[in-house]
Amino acid sequence: MSNALSGPSNFADDGSSVIARQIETHHMRLAQDDTSNEQNKVKLCRDIYEIDRTVRLIKDRGYKRIALQFPDDLLRDSGLVAQLIRDETGGGVYILADTSYGSCCVDEVAAQHIAADAIIHYGRSCQSPTSRLPVIYVFGKQPIDVLDCAKSFDGIFQENKNQGVILMYDVVYAHCIDELHKTLTEVMNYTNVVKSRVETESNLSLVLSENTNRACRSGAGSCCAESTESTEVNNSTCNIGGQSCSSGGSCGSNSQAETATQGHANGCAGDLPLTTQGQKEHRRRFGRVYDLPEGANIEDYSLFYVGDESPTLSNIIITHSKCQTYSYNPVTKCGRLESAQVNRALMRRYFLVQKAKDADIIGIAVGTLGVSSYTTMIKHLKALIESKGKKAYTFVMGKLNVPKMANFMEIDCFVYVACAENSLIDSKEFYRPIVTPYELELALSKSREWTGDYITDFQQLLPDEGMVGVDKVKISQHQLEAASDVEDDEGNSDDEDDRPHFSLVTGQFKQSRRYATNKEDTKELSELLETTKDLTLRNKDTSVARLMSSAAGEFLAKREFTGLEVNLGETPVELAVEGRAGIARGYNSESGYETREIEKY
Amino acid sequence: MVNFSIDQIRVLMDKVTNVRNMSVIAHVDHGKSTLTDSLVSKAGIISAARAGDARFMDTRPDEQERGITIKSTAISMYFEMPEEDAKEIKQKTEGNAFLINLIDSPGHVDFSSEVTAALRVTDGALVVVDCVDGVCVQTETVLRQALGERIKPVVVINKVDRALLELQVSKEDLYQSFLRTVESVNVIIATYHDEALGDVQVYPEKGTVAFASGLHGWAFTIAQFARMYAKRFGVDKAKMMERLWGENYFNPATRKWTTKGTSAEGKPLERAFSMFVLDPIFKLFDSTMNFKKEQTTTMLEKLNIVLKNDEKELEGKALLKTVMKKFLPAGDSLLEMIVVNLPSPVTAQKYRTALLYEGPLDDECATSIESCNPNGPLMLYVSKMVPTSDKGRFYAFGRVFSGTVRAGLKVRIQGPNYVPGSKNDLFVKSIQRIVLMMGRYVEPIEDCPAGNIVGLVGVDQFLLKSGTITTSETAHNLKVMKFSVSPVVQVAVECKSPNDLPKLVEGLKRLAKSDPCVLCFTSDSGEHIVAGSGELHLEICLKDLEEDHAQVPIRKSDPVVQYKETVQAESSIVALAKSPNKHNRIFMKAMPLGEELSRAIEDGKINARDEFKARARILSDEFEWDNQEARKIWAFGPDATGPNVMVDLTKGVAYLNEVKDSCVSAFQWATREGCFTDENMRGCRFNIMDVVLHADAIHRGGGQIIPACRSAIYAAAYVAQPGMMEPVYLVEITCPENAMGGIYGVLTRRRGHVFAEEQRPGTPMYIIKAYLPIAESFGFTGDLRAATGGQAFPQSVFDHWEMLPGNIAEDLKLQELVKNIRKRKGLNVEIPPLDRFLDRL
Repeated sequence: MSNALSGPSNFADDGSSVIARQIETHHMRLAQDDTSNEQNKVKLCRDIYEIDRTVRLIKDRGYKRIALQFPDDLLRDSGLVAQLIRDETGGGVYILADTSYGSCCVDEVAAQHIAADAIIHYGRSCQSPTSRLPVIYVFGKQPIDVLDCAKSFDGIFQENKNQGVILMYDVVYAHCIDELHKTLTEVMNYTNVVKSRVETESNLSLVLSENTNRACRSGAGSCCAESTESTEVNNSTCNIGGQSCSSGGSCGSNSQAETATQGHANGCAGDLPLTTQGQKEHRRRFGRVYDLPEGANIEDYSLFYVGDESPTLSNIIITHSKCQTYSYNPVTKCGRLESAQVNRALMRRYFLVQKAKDADIIGIAVGTLGVSSYTTMIKHLKALIESKGKKAYTFVMGKLNVPKMANFMEIDCFVYVACAENSLIDSKEFYRPIVTPYELELALSKSREWTGDYITDFQQLLPDEGMVGVDKVKISQHQLEAASDVEDDEGNSDDEDDRPHFSLVTGQFKQSRRYATNKEDTKELSELLETTKDLTLRNKDTSVARLMSSAAGEFLAKREFTGLEVNLGETPVELAVEGRAGIARGYNSESGYETREIEKY
Repeated sequence: MVNFSIDQIRVLMDKVTNVRNMSVIAHVDHGKSTLTDSLVSKAGIISAARAGDARFMDTRPDEQERGITIKSTAISMYFEMPEEDAKEIKQKTEGNAFLINLIDSPGHVDFSSEVTAALRVTDGALVVVDCVDGVCVQTETVLRQALGERIKPVVVINKVDRALLELQVSKEDLYQSFLRTVESVNVIIATYHDEALGDVQVYPEKGTVAFASGLHGWAFTIAQFARMYAKRFGVDKAKMMERLWGENYFNPATRKWTTKGTSAEGKPLERAFSMFVLDPIFKLFDSTMNFKKEQTTTMLEKLNIVLKNDEKELEGKALLKTVMKKFLPAGDSLLEMIVVNLPSPVTAQKYRTALLYEGPLDDECATSIESCNPNGPLMLYVSKMVPTSDKGRFYAFGRVFSGTVRAGLKVRIQGPNYVPGSKNDLFVKSIQRIVLMMGRYVEPIEDCPAGNIVGLVGVDQFLLKSGTITTSETAHNLKVMKFSVSPVVQVAVECKSPNDLPKLVEGLKRLAKSDPCVLCFTSDSGEHIVAGSGELHLEICLKDLEEDHAQVPIRKSDPVVQYKETVQAESSIVALAKSPNKHNRIFMKAMPLGEELSRAIEDGKINARDEFKARARILSDEFEWDNQEARKIWAFGPDATGPNVMVDLTKGVAYLNEVKDSCVSAFQWATREGCFTDENMRGCRFNIMDVVLHADAIHRGGGQIIPACRSAIYAAAYVAQPGMMEPVYLVEITCPENAMGGIYGVLTRRRGHVFAEEQRPGTPMYIIKAYLPIAESFGFTGDLRAATGGQAFPQSVFDHWEMLPGNIAEDLKLQELVKNIRKRKGLNVEIPPLDRFLDRL
């Protein structure tokens, strides 16, 4: 269990683990049938990879260049899949080899290299909305013993058959959830089991934007067709709300955005309750939508998750910390309570918030180039950090690892902008804490308070209104003002700002340093240059003191080693000596060299 | 009614020579607050009748309920002395009106930090000693603290009524008991003798010892009786005082003074003290308690004591109380002793400046403090925060050492981490208001000159617990107080409802402010930790937190103690760690630092900020370090000050200075979170034996060196017989002989061991001193009470860190402990194996 909450392993300590990694090709149905004939294999492949559906969608929308993105464990089937799709559509089909961040996220950047019209994402997905390209999700159907799962469910909930339970599942088990639901409600007489749905497409409407309504209807329709039958088709308006929410501000250029904003009105409130004509409450998280009966409260529900330990599960647990969460692992066929550790995990996150509060210099590490509106988020965070007089640096460093992060010793705290499932990083090995955007907001903005609710999906943090068509920096500014309203109410915000805060990390008062922002710095510099004549009096320590008030200058002043010093005439002249020879693994001069050489050959 | 006005006080504040700042200090239950009542009643703040029961200075309801003082409380009083007595004062004074700023402090060892805060702002101390119990462990502690701050003591031997009524001692026995007490106080004073303070031993014949009964509200000094008898005998008062103490006898037959205990005829003579001082008191006791009405009446007439009509009806104890109060009113004797013998701020600041000020002793602030100059730059030390009626706000309570503080004055508020010239921990703000602390209430005043104690409004937001307030831009800090207790006992608290968290956090902040010693922080695992000096301290803090500061229901964990990781031998091999890219290697060895050196670092005798050559000299002279090595100490840790060091023993390594910052960071990190339990390390020395670095700067950046150096430190400690240290209390238990068996039983069960046991001379009481692991001390007091029928009273104070037997790498019992700590902290329970840290070539 502890593994499940310790965050995803999307950083590698060094390269070796990647090379040495044993990839489980747990796509069993295909693997088992290796021996059988080709025909069978193709048939299975069609079934598992939903070739028919994808082909239909591609043909419907007329995509010409299609990128296929496989996670590492499914790459072996990629050839066959690509072949099948190419044969049926006749379009250009490309397989994307490597992902820059995590395989759960859609890699738009890679897809853009080949100017793809659409991406088909295979395997487990974090369902983060993307911004640029239409995406078709194919989860791959994993075998599951529905009856056993239902039994396990019964074992947990049999005492109260009216207990509200929401069925959640790993996307690879999406195909069987209706069956499970049916078994539970009809055979076992559970009255209050709600199933969640996942989306199988995103942004499909982009291309067909001329007719918003149709696009949405068909988008919603096809979505429902897959997982929820067509019960929802009548209700298409509400689904539009849900879906446009899901794509967040992504439909930037789209006229549909107006509807989207409405749905977004309470975007910050953690959940997204949407009261629609159907008088049902819809909630959506990570591409999952579920309906709760009117007046029902999510806290009264338990969660039942079908799937094994994964970031998805940790994510669900931590964001639904107030619900009891049970899981059923279809591989080991055992069900258990998962929520026991969640408080501990949340408290650990709380500690990181406190660390972030004390930080003066904050690094924004970019962990995605695909999730929609990540640039808005970065700008927003930057503006937020700077408004507090702190210094922000932005890093784009691909997958995180310890040495990379520790190279920036002046950074007090990192904030990681990534897809919801990859955001929670908690490794004590890191030199500096890494927090999520939500945690940074908790730390810096007074409009948010720690309540035990948790948001991993930064889409929900984005500034709420006027999202589209407004200069994004302005939005952030606006958001900031809203955030600092509380301060202004108290009168002299000036006083408030430089008042020290009580740091819970040290138990002492912590005075926030205020660094000049870049703009002010440049202004200062230009002023300085203007006033500087050909000759100026140099000050005592031959430094340009005014520019030293910046964060970097201060850090440099603190360091013992500040660069090579030319001590002309002070360094004694020495004869050149022979240096080291050999390889880094063990230089020739080091003991044990001889024996190693022998070992080798 | 209050017999003085704030205006009168304000006038006296300017006459600094007539101000006395003093604290009342003692062992728990020796009667500080009760005695203080007498002084307060003298000032008319409470009625004389209530003095002794009111415990006016115990302002909190729980203080009243439990009958112990928890917070120190200050009060300013106006006192007028008879003119002729005022002449006897040896230091400079003006007129015969005095302002006494008195601070009553708690006696329980858990609240010692309150005493420290009180001592800092005062110049003199009234040390109260129970005449039956004598000098106890806390008496010694507070006395030592007082002398450490250069505070002049005077002694009150209290509860004399107890000796007379309960123990029925004879006059000579009583004298001997007084003598013993005075001697034991003087032994302590002599031990901590300070040249600058001069001789501050106490002598009854010099009037620096008083004898009192706080409960009955009477007290006397030899000076008082000497004055009485000087007239009758027609001798000088000073001479009379000397005769009234010690080996001085009066032969009534010959009417001659002698120093021999027998007359010329060989008849035993009565000691002058017994004859002239004790005799009237004994007689009064005898006649009133034994209902000898007539005798009482004649005595009263003789002593010029007039009873009111209703008082004449009284009998027994009540009558005794009234009579004694009229005969020897405690307020007069004590105040006189205070005024005459304790220094005024002008006198005291001359010799205290060197101890108070961190900066050079010849700058403007130092000279101004030295002369207590009200026109100099403002120097004010805030020693603690006192809650106001306004929730969440505090008065900053402190002493003006120089200059004058007034409302609206723009001042520099310098926190404890302020370094002159920097902007760190510095705020420039205006003082909003100034108040005079008057026990349960405050009085606003306009301004306050040097030498006085005040409360400031509007400073609390910028200082957590203490700090310096000044107007001089060049001022250094006034020295940070050093507490005799440290917060070694912790509990984790959480609010019952998650929505209350912001309130809890705010409450923790307020709690941290309101107590000089408590520590509130969040642990790595996100738990809110409250750390205090002992069980009682924590109990009070948590109660305050729940009821006053946070006002939300909280849940608390069982108390836990901190441990320290350490090493017990030199590393068996040179530990090697490679950087993640394998291009850099660090070779490291660990060895024990030694208990003395660890303590010296913890006590600040050896400091990270010392000049390195001077430090190297001390290390080589006193701790047998190699002088060259001592000069190459790279860092102290954790927090750059802790009792671990990293020493560079490499020779001729290229680019070494480039990676020093990274190594120091790694060292701080590793010593803060040891590899076994995430607890601090203590008493470890890490020698960097050799370093191999990549030639390209980019491949030896912090990202490569920090993990490598951290691993190297862990590996070096792993192979150096790693051990654990636990904190240990020094427990002092006073008990009668028959209870000792029970005490030994309880101590043994709790891994404690007795190292001293002695009978208190003249009493049937024994004192047992023992070491008791703090981890085993929870519930100790209750256990002890149960085992001894409530006859034993323990006082525990953190004493030292004790090595647990065994080596973490091998000892199973120790591993069990380590695993438990890991489990509690939410770490992976298994101890990481050595090869996680140690690399091979």
